[in-house]
Amino acid sequence: MTVPALLSSCARAATTEEAAFRIDYPLAPARATRVVGFDARAVQAVRSAADREWGQAQFYSASDPGHQLVTMTGETRSLAEELDSVGSLVMVAATGEAAEAVATIGAACQVRGIMTAGLVLTPGRLMSDALMALRPYARILLVPADEDDLIELLQAIRA
Amino acid sequence: MLRAEINDLLTQTGPETPMGQLFRRYWQPVLLAEELPANDCPPVRVKILSERLLAFRDSAGRYGLIDEFCAHRGVSLWFGRNEEGGLRCPYHGWKYDVTGQAIEVPSEPETSNFCANVKLKSYPLVKRGGVFWAYLGDPAKQPPLPEWEFVTVPEGQTYTSKRLQECNWLQALEGGIDSSHVTFLHSGNLDSDPLFKGARGNAYNKGDLKPFFEVADYEGGLLIGARRNAEEGHYYWRVTPWVLPNFTMVPPRGDHPMHGHFWVPIDDEHCWVYSFDYHPTRNLTEDEIGAMQAGLGVHSANDANYRPLANKDNDYLIDREAQRRGETYSGVKGIAMQDASLQESMGPIVDRTKERLVATDAGIIKARQKLRKAALALAETGAEPVGNRPQDQKVRSVAIVLPADQAFIDGIGEAMVARPGVPQTSV
Repeated sequence: MTVPALLSSCARAATTEEAAFRIDYPLAPARATRVVGFDARAVQAVRSAADREWGQAQFYSASDPGHQLVTMTGETRSLAEELDSVGSLVMVAATGEAAEAVATIGAACQVRGIMTAGLVLTPGRLMSDALMALRPYARILLVPADEDDLIELLQAIRA
Repeated sequence: MLRAEINDLLTQTGPETPMGQLFRRYWQPVLLAEELPANDCPPVRVKILSERLLAFRDSAGRYGLIDEFCAHRGVSLWFGRNEEGGLRCPYHGWKYDVTGQAIEVPSEPETSNFCANVKLKSYPLVKRGGVFWAYLGDPAKQPPLPEWEFVTVPEGQTYTSKRLQECNWLQALEGGIDSSHVTFLHSGNLDSDPLFKGARGNAYNKGDLKPFFEVADYEGGLLIGARRNAEEGHYYWRVTPWVLPNFTMVPPRGDHPMHGHFWVPIDDEHCWVYSFDYHPTRNLTEDEIGAMQAGLGVHSANDANYRPLANKDNDYLIDREAQRRGETYSGVKGIAMQDASLQESMGPIVDRTKERLVATDAGIIKARQKLRKAALALAETGAEPVGNRPQDQKVRSVAIVLPADQAFIDGIGEAMVARPGVPQTSV
């Protein structure tokens, strides 16, 4: 059995007083995050989120087959280039209409080790084609989700 | 990351706080039945939601939960004499009934009506399923009595324990929502704990260390589904319900009893964890109850004041050799204390402005959002909270294997609904 080591023991270390001695350094830079909407309703939510101030988050729409991303200002970019140095990608869908694009982008993220999350914008419905399209590729899914969820998720991960 | 003012909002549960007001719309567990075992037994101090109260059981078996302190000179009525239908302050003999009403003030003339004007704050206290429940809110808004399945099954089918946790309620609750830590922190327990071992589902847990998650919004709170690979074309799902504000269940394993927790704020730096096990269709066995009493499963071995024997004063009895051998992942024994040791190490109230959440923390992010919205909606518009209605409480956790193309919410169907006499859905 271990004997507590006084000054370093849990009883002392877990106090409010000791919390004051935690090293106070600026948080590391935000993780590079990409947010992609896959249908009209989803793109609307993505555009709404994009209007806010973010760290390194960038926002796009995508349609089948998904090898290109379109920025909120309408520029077309190569998927491969936009995923360079990315830490996480949030997929947003309200329908399953761009399932191929979801698969392309999801697979590209898997290959690159990019963390993926998915938001299914189907208010009041837990089952949907959008869910089935995102499921294989999103490490975590919010079902159903709304614009608030997207913003809160991005704020929480300091996108 | 959470802004400081939101962290304050979520973690402060005193009487005048938004989250405190939200909690005051729910029946909360405040004592185990064993703590008031007989008429005229000693009173028990109850601190909950930052209020100092006293529970007692009078000569007629009525239960009272009243302000701890005598209206006369502020003496703690914990020293009181529980006799002849009331609790008498030993200082000057003022006596109160279970409603907090003064019924005797010996220094007053016999014809005095002074008593009628002396009443301590009191709250309803009811015993249900081996637990005493209190409601600290507006009497006009009192919800129906608790209908959780663990308190409504026959007595022999349920067991509840409680333990002190020395940190804010929210960081304890978040451990109950965060399924992703189970793969690591509790990995040593599946094969050794008699309340878990032997279930077929355990092999899926061990075979897939990188589960996917789906967080489903439902009326009473959230359903958090953890998805692992099973046989070809199938997934193994473990579904954890969270019901606002502070109830979670753990997905079951085989025919073992089901279990879960209430995370009850004592004050802003301490909480009680009420941990329950029950089986929907059979009595708990002697072995199972013995294991629970010994602190296995989701329970802990405690002292007479319900403080875990492994606690921060003895470094949680950490065993580095057991850690090295792989018997425990953190070196701390038992699921309850594995969680508590880490959550207490975060400090009494963790500074969430410093955290670095990742996308797989979406369940926690969503739960915080729902709590914040519920508290603010109640404060600003009086919006009725959810989670305090019987339909919200008739919920079960689920463990199930489903075809890969089936949504878990569709696949579990009625399995998440508590129905008397119907076995749990478990693997």
